Amino acid sequence: MRAKLCSVLNGVTLIGLGVVLLDFYFTGRLDQYLHPQFRPWTLAGGIVFCLAGVIYAGSKATECCVEGECVHRNSNSLLRSALAFCVLFLPLAAGVALSKDSYDQHAVLNRGFVEDMSTLPGHSGVSVQKPSNDPAIPPQALGADNDERATEPLPQDTPNDQSDPNGPVPADQANPNVPSPNDQSSAQYLPRAVDGNVALEVTDLLYGEAEESLRKMFSDKTVEVVGQYLPGSDANQFKLVRMFIVCCAADARPIAVPVQVSGPISVTEMGWVKVIGKATYAKNGDRVHVILRADKVEPTDPPAEAMLY
Amino acid sequence: MQFFVATDLYDRARVSWVGIERIVMSWFTFTWQNFLFSFLALAFEGLPFVLIGSLISGAIAAFVPSKVITGFLPKNGILATLVSGLLGLCFPICECGIVPVVRRLMDKGLPISCGVTFMLASPIVNPIVAFSTLAAFRAQAPWLNMGTRLTLGYVVAVVAGLVVRGIDPSSILRSGAIKGPTRKRLAFSVSALPDAASAGINASVHEKLVAAIRMACDDFIDTAIYFMAGAAVAATFNTAVDQQIILPLALNPMLATFSMMAFASILTLCSTSDAFIAATFVSFPIFARMAFMVFGPMFDLKLFFLYSVLFKKRFVIGLGIGLFIFIGIICSRVLIYLYAGQAL
Repeated sequence: MRAKLCSVLNGVTLIGLGVVLLDFYFTGRLDQYLHPQFRPWTLAGGIVFCLAGVIYAGSKATECCVEGECVHRNSNSLLRSALAFCVLFLPLAAGVALSKDSYDQHAVLNRGFVEDMSTLPGHSGVSVQKPSNDPAIPPQALGADNDERATEPLPQDTPNDQSDPNGPVPADQANPNVPSPNDQSSAQYLPRAVDGNVALEVTDLLYGEAEESLRKMFSDKTVEVVGQYLPGSDANQFKLVRMFIVCCAADARPIAVPVQVSGPISVTEMGWVKVIGKATYAKNGDRVHVILRADKVEPTDPPAEAMLY
Repeated sequence: MQFFVATDLYDRARVSWVGIERIVMSWFTFTWQNFLFSFLALAFEGLPFVLIGSLISGAIAAFVPSKVITGFLPKNGILATLVSGLLGLCFPICECGIVPVVRRLMDKGLPISCGVTFMLASPIVNPIVAFSTLAAFRAQAPWLNMGTRLTLGYVVAVVAGLVVRGIDPSSILRSGAIKGPTRKRLAFSVSALPDAASAGINASVHEKLVAAIRMACDDFIDTAIYFMAGAAVAATFNTAVDQQIILPLALNPMLATFSMMAFASILTLCSTSDAFIAATFVSFPIFARMAFMVFGPMFDLKLFFLYSVLFKKRFVIGLGIGLFIFIGIICSRVLIYLYAGQAL
């Protein structure tokens, strides 16, 4: 009787695990947790857990061993079965009900922001490689990057340019070899939001810090960027945050664009917002930094893929 | 230490069973939201691989005769250990699933030294990790880094195996993990292992299949309990501890190396993808990142608990300290010359 009870309880634990995995997979919540490459494993795991649980609960304990000697002598222990249920199933079941499927600002601040986009996986250091989930800037639009002449530094980027080292970086004029920001051959590839604004990701703006051609493409255009709101040191600025993952949310690293606004806004911390404005790139020492000057900030729904990768 | 009680009614309802929403110190900020998110991510990522390892373990137990396991290894113990370090090339298993497999192989007659070598080497010396390391370091001397990682992983695992050869198995393995007279044990301790004959040579395929699934499930339960404990600890460290406090450590080669290993043990990344994380720590020297990629798959928080399924706590702690020191010294004292001249 005890052996059967243990078999049933262990089977329920395994089935419960499977149901939780399948629930997260089919409801789409898993998308917030795992890189796409790992998601099929979760689906397969959920199915196998359910099947194994049914077989385990339905088979006799003596079938654990083929010729009568049980391999797992503690498999008939109620304490072990109860412990497995509490440790394996309950935390995951609690996660179904309690997890908000995102980090709050404490985790973001504890992890620290990625300062240099070239250190993120997927960046070759030579040309822009977008995170794979959202090819906002298709390779065709980066034709300038494949043109050797286009990689020549602009006058304002050369050491001889001492006019205003900390001032805004002019995005046009200067080098006739680089496509104009109004060049339709590049601009036509820029993704558009429903209202006609250029729809970009936080990563696009940050990659622009290192890519002259991107800066030129973004300049003078009204862009629309979605991210999470992290309050700044004063009411006129905040950070627009996205999380970048390699395999799962446990290794997520925050990336952020500073946003300037004209006055205080009412958004919950780490709530999703859509920022409409213009991207400005300014030199600070040897580096170029982006600032998004917002014309409008409004709450919005989280994107289908909350994580970038 | 300050205690903050939830101010939001919605949050209060969600965490009322906990009582405290978050605990804040200058370098430690715990919230249930962050803990659950990180913990579940680790569980969703790791549990399927623990299951795969358990299924392989069950299949080995039911279908592979002992003589097959012991027959392919050289009779010479040292040669057998050397070969065991390469098994991952044709038998790639990440560290989450390795323990049940090693346990089953040792049950089938694999010497402990070979088991330890296979256990430590397989998560690194395998084609998946080789490919991911190449991809992660594709702009940073990829072939050198991949070759160094696999070679160092192999050497460290073999050395560990050879050291274990000289130790009495009964002082290493947990009670019940080796064949012999059974004693009354804790209910959730590692299962006693049977004589190899119990694999059931005369059983039907159906009986063997059911037995394999039951054994795989029991192996999974034994292993996953420890995995979840490790994931809980790792999730706490991942989300609650201010990781900026480790950055000053990057300035000193020795400190950088050992701190990166400590970081690897806390992050508990999968060996198939940890190279992508290591490649991003550009403020740390490459030999420190190599220590991260070699030590992490061999010993981290979840592995501490997983190894405890099979080995005595004293051995697990000794193994961790030994690997920490050995890998740290090699990376900070030897690799530093290998990488001299490399702009990494």
